[in-house]
Amino acid sequence: MEARADLLRPGKRERLMVAMAALCAERGYQETSVEDVAARAGLPVEDFDALFGGDRERCVLAALNAITGETMTAIASSYSPDRSEWDSYMLGIKAILELMAANPSFAHLAYVSSRQMGPPAVSDAHHAAIKVVTAMLERLWDYSNSETQPATTARGALGAAEAVVRREVVARRTEQLPRLLPDFVYAATVPFLGQEEALRLVRRARELLAGTPWV
Amino acid sequence: MEKAQREQLFWALMAELAEKGYRDASVEGPMAAAGVSTAEFEAEFKDKDACLFAAYDHMTELALNTATSDCESGREWPERLRDGLKKLLEAIAAEPELARAMTRSFPGIRPATYECYVELLARFLPYMEEGRKYSGVDEELPGEVELLAVGAAEAIIFSEVDAGRAERLPQMMPEILFSVLVPFMGPDRAADEMRSASAAL
Repeated sequence: MEARADLLRPGKRERLMVAMAALCAERGYQETSVEDVAARAGLPVEDFDALFGGDRERCVLAALNAITGETMTAIASSYSPDRSEWDSYMLGIKAILELMAANPSFAHLAYVSSRQMGPPAVSDAHHAAIKVVTAMLERLWDYSNSETQPATTARGALGAAEAVVRREVVARRTEQLPRLLPDFVYAATVPFLGQEEALRLVRRARELLAGTPWV
Repeated sequence: MEKAQREQLFWALMAELAEKGYRDASVEGPMAAAGVSTAEFEAEFKDKDACLFAAYDHMTELALNTATSDCESGREWPERLRDGLKKLLEAIAAEPELARAMTRSFPGIRPATYECYVELLARFLPYMEEGRKYSGVDEELPGEVELLAVGAAEAIIFSEVDAGRAERLPQMMPEILFSVLVPFMGPDRAADEMRSASAAL
């Protein structure tokens, strides 16, 4: 089982969610049974039944909710009134990438399994999460000097970033996601702020990765 | 098995997959539809999975050929991109169930099939590289800008296909074009191209 950071406290429920995420990444949801999950977690099936009513879907949804909650916490924790909005924004993206890097199975669950492999309720949860993040991106419209962007701009920007995440997750390079911070910053900002400002933020993201102190 | 039979088998199997899902999809119906005997099937494919992977490869080639058939012509890159996108979206709108099988049903079977989907998207990346020349800021652009462009289009297309609205995609071509071009050109120039594409529609 992969090394876990501090995504979840390791109670029985959390151990089962970690096992479910890992097995979905390895073999897919359809090929993952309750017995497999319990065995991977080192727990009896009775524990799974007691905690999730014997329902795989409930376990996947709980794991998805956990990673979504951690993502929102990471974003919120990156905000500081002592920093510019853009620096907070960039640090929020960095925190998400670091969260994914520390939890590859959960990254797979959030970006691949839930979108492609899960039952309808799991796909619906994925769509709901996408809508929330899309709405957050659309806030950047307030900073745009242009009114020419189409309605799907934010969805496209998020999709651009998701494609990079998925490629790295599938290639089992999830731990390297933080090094791609400049690409994610660019994807999220260029449709709204324009190329000149987006490239300025890319340079700033590169400074952040290089450890250059921000003034 | 004749080439035409094989192609018919692939189309029927992908339709079966989209309609019934992986577990309930069988090769018998598609074989009957294509006039393929069990002996002919077994001579080429070990099992259902082998045929599914071959069908997906075939459809990937078709999609790529549809979108890039004019790419070697002498026209400017944004114009070629626009026409390729238009053809691809029209093909998706004409065969929404096949599109669903390609984007959702097959990739969702297991991690190995999802890797095929990622590879399908990667096949489009070389056609984006020319966008760097049009950016005017090539050396400053992030390293993944081609994937950002492909991913933006994929996200919008996937959303529409998954929601059962594939028939809207041809009308959405200008705004999808915007999302593909914006990583290279920025919003103002991408919007100019979007307006030109709208006028051409």
